[in-house]
Amino acid sequence: MTTVRMPSPPPLPLRQRAQIPSAGLSPMLDRLAGERATGVLMREGGMLYLSEGQVVYAESPATPGLDALLITRGTLDADGWREAVAQAGARQRVGRFLVDSGRIGEGALELCHLGALYDAAYFVLGPSSAPVHFRYGEAHWLGPVHPVPVAALERETVRRRELLHGIWPDPATDEAPLVRAARPAKLTVTPRQSAVLDRIDGVRTAADISRALGRPAFHTLVDVRRLAAAGVIAPSGVGGGRPSAEPAGGGTSPAPTEPTLPHADPHITLLKRLRDALEAL
Amino acid sequence: MANTETALKEALASIEGATGVALVDYTSGMALGTMGGSKSFDLTVAAAGNTDVVRAKLRTMEHLGLKGQIEDILITLNDQYHLIRLLTGRGGNGLFLYLVLDSKRANLAMARHQLKKIEEDLEV
Repeated sequence: MTTVRMPSPPPLPLRQRAQIPSAGLSPMLDRLAGERATGVLMREGGMLYLSEGQVVYAESPATPGLDALLITRGTLDADGWREAVAQAGARQRVGRFLVDSGRIGEGALELCHLGALYDAAYFVLGPSSAPVHFRYGEAHWLGPVHPVPVAALERETVRRRELLHGIWPDPATDEAPLVRAARPAKLTVTPRQSAVLDRIDGVRTAADISRALGRPAFHTLVDVRRLAAAGVIAPSGVGGGRPSAEPAGGGTSPAPTEPTLPHADPHITLLKRLRDALEAL
Repeated sequence: MANTETALKEALASIEGATGVALVDYTSGMALGTMGGSKSFDLTVAAAGNTDVVRAKLRTMEHLGLKGQIEDILITLNDQYHLIRLLTGRGGNGLFLYLVLDSKRANLAMARHQLKKIEEDLEV
């Protein structure tokens, strides 16, 4: 019998478990809804526009805006969008103008708008300790399309956090550059997931992929967590993955989100996945 | 041309035997609009749960190498029909209509036809 001398494996890195705060996402937002305020709420993750206490628009640097979603999908061309903003932006009626001029159906605009609003709000209402500001009276140039009650928005945001947590409890892939696993598990992916997988190059983050695909950023997080749970992808610098392509434009290598292991031990990768899966139970 | 609320109201009013309808985003599981339902039948819960049905079917089709597109999925209970129609328009990609029918009163072929018309009205 041959014995193989193995160096003792490095200790498993400790990781903060994802916390899901459930109630009171933003006490200030609740108060503004109560007083039926109009204006813009500025948080670290982005902005929420309120009209009489209801949310009419949300924007976040983490997500593609309504214009990007409509243009990338081919629902609207960039010239049509620019013209609408030029014609109706100053009087805050861009949405109305797009529908009245026949560029988009009312239902289609509403659905895309709601998709973009809930998507951006998820990031705006993300955990943050930075100061929050509200500027009274400011209206958004899109104009009213489909106002959403604050309570409904908060409920959906919490539901989305729980959905992500249920798929895979480790949030490391949400913001880090992503790499394909060195020895990926065999997996059948849906066409939507495969579009995400095709754009993973060791540099792009989930937000970059959303912009490239013209999809809501939360949707990409769902696909990314599913792929991470299946062991197909990992955040850069963790779990022994390596970039499948050279970074375009010679970008510097991104900072890892967890302390990098001295060597990529497949046993450790397996143990980590097992631990995460057990935690998710 | 219709907004979401009008289209869903129309579905509930015009489709014989319809007791609830929802327009659902199948990645997030969020109902973008619901109409009908009852205390004992929460459409938003049904919406979120049925995203798993759609996803399972899409994955199975990938496994089998089927290239066709899902038009609709029918689930029959002893007293209800649940009809899922995937929207195909550019703006509707990733959405489905979910329709609950009372099986004693419903005409399935007609309901499918009408659901298709509702999709056209939404212009997504």
